[in-house]
Order: sequence, then structure tokens, then C-alpha cells
Amino acid sequence: MADIITIPATVRTTFGKGAARRLRRDGHIPAVIYGHGQEPIHVALPEHETTLATRTANALLSLDVEGTEPKLVLVKDIQKDPVKMSIEHLDLMNVTRSEKVEVEVPISLTGVTVGNTVAELSLQTITVSAPVVELPDRIEVSVDGAAEGTRFHAKDLDLGEDVELVTDPEALVVAVIIPSAKDMGDRADEVAEEQAEAAAAADAAAAGTEAGATAAE
Amino acid sequence: MLIPRRVKYRKQHHPGRSGQAKGGTTLAFGEYGVQALGRAYITNRQIEAARISMTRYIKRGGKVWINIFPDRPLSQKPIGTRMGSGKGSPEFWVANVKPGRVLFELSGVDEATAREALGRAIYKLPMKARIIKREEGEA
Repeated sequence: MADIITIPATVRTTFGKGAARRLRRDGHIPAVIYGHGQEPIHVALPEHETTLATRTANALLSLDVEGTEPKLVLVKDIQKDPVKMSIEHLDLMNVTRSEKVEVEVPISLTGVTVGNTVAELSLQTITVSAPVVELPDRIEVSVDGAAEGTRFHAKDLDLGEDVELVTDPEALVVAVIIPSAKDMGDRADEVAEEQAEAAAAADAAAAGTEAGATAAE
Repeated sequence: MLIPRRVKYRKQHHPGRSGQAKGGTTLAFGEYGVQALGRAYITNRQIEAARISMTRYIKRGGKVWINIFPDRPLSQKPIGTRMGSGKGSPEFWVANVKPGRVLFELSGVDEATAREALGRAIYKLPMKARIIKREEGEA
């Protein structure tokens, strides 16, 4: 699990796109804290520290909101600019240390499969339930030395202690396959055409060799 | 080449080019991808050229996804024709691409091969684009 990172926060009093843009220009990220039946709090976070802290999935932050005791929050949603990749807004959820939460955890593959096989990731994330302080930032699946036809289902994954699977245990996560022409985006008629051309070229080469041999005789 | 099977109307207005991509801005299937940085009408020929340059480089080693589809017809009048007399005939099929859109995805190859293959695909495209990678721990 990732460490809890402390970030200073200031309460926002101005709202709307104009105020949010001014905040972003000044190096802050607008965010909202909600959950546990409390009134939502609108805050501004320092851009650099927040960007570094939220690089892993399901980051846990301790917010030092001015004038109040530190708040433990879980990053619920991140809005990013698709081109600049900068964070535009954060949704933060109030949590307590003993609480169990359901989160989506990304799957990452390690190792190399045998031969010309490819490990195909069918599920990019799985849903798990775990105590807030034990949340995994990713789940690793080792495909080292896996042969064609090897399949990893959700129930086969090593989730660690205190982490419960919520996704269907029979859901396929990773399959080791030999990529076909279709996987490369080739259409069947194009593949047939290429094969016919290759065969014709081979025949022509063979005929040329025979003709050369006859001429030499 | 990619082309719609059936269309409701043969001729359409030009697709709008303003703004950024609203969806399809992250990697959905593969480990590496090409993300558009500019806006362009990408024709089915350009998509095919990019796909071929990519797949010929990686040979039979990985899996390729094409996330865009050329579903918008563009018309053109013949050369030497006077203006008027109605709209020209459909000549191209294009995908309307805005900044941030992920165009191609690739998986099952090592990073060096993926970067070279996607770089070759970018050469065939009419706008600036960059290679993106699924980061460790990123959903």
C-alpha cells in the first residue's frame, strides 16, 4: 500500500469556471471533499505536491485544511486535461482508518511469455474491498514463461491480506494467445492476397532458378 | 480499407473541428498508444497506411487496436467545373480527430519495438501526435 501523504489545503470561497481558472493560474488545483454524510468542503490544493501524490491509483491523502484537524481522504476521481495531462479537479472522499472501501485497482503484467505469444489483458482493473490503509495501488500478474492457452481469472490473483475480491471470481483477467492476422488489423481478404503474392513470388523464383540451370547445361 | 457499410445520407456537412476530444483520451486496451496533439480529418487511406507501417514493423508479434473510424464523407467537385450545380460527389471518408484522441493502441511487444512502430505510424498522419504509455499503477 502507498504511504499517506500530507498536503496543505485552503478553503475556497469563490466558485465557477472563472474562479477555478484563476486558481489554476496561481498553481492550485480546485477540489471537493465529501462523504460520511457531512457537508461538502470546497478546497484548493497545491498543484505540484498534489500531482506527485496522485500518481498512483487510490492515493490516500491527509489534508491539512486551515483551522481544522487533518482529514484523511481517498482520491475518488481525477479530471485531467487530455493534452496537457495536468489535473483540473479532484474528488476526495472522507474516510476513516478502520473503514473498508470498494475501489478499482489496476492490473499490471510482469514477465515475458514464451515464444511468439502475447499476454492479452481482458480486464484493465478489478474491484476489491479493503481497509483504507491496506489498499493496493496495483495488482501484479506474473506471466513469465506462460504458454499459449494459459488463462488467469480474477480468483487466481494474489490480492494480499485483508483484500477481498468484489469482481466476479470467474472473470477472465489475462489470456496468453498467439496473435492472429485479425489481431493485427488485417482483413481476411488482404491476408489471402498477401499469401497468394508470396506464393507467386516463390514460384517465380523457383522457375527462374530452373531456367538458369537449364541454360547453364 | 475502412469504410462504412451503409449510410443514411450520402453527403454531409463538414464535421466541426473546434475543441478537444471528449472521450477516447486514455489507453483502453493496449500498453502503448498514439495520441493526437492537433486536429485533422484523417482519411481511411491514412489510417490504413499507418496500420500497415506499424504491423509490417512488428510482424506477427503483438496486437493492434484502431480506435478511430472514418465515418464522415467529404465531397469534392471535379477539376475544371464551374461553381454551382449542386454539391460535389463523395470522394473521401474521414475520421474527425481532435487533440487528445487516442488513435492506435499496441500491446505484446517490448517498449523499443512499440515506440519505433508507433513512430512510423505517426509519420503517416496529417497532424502532430505523441506516443503514450500506460504507467505503472495507472488505471
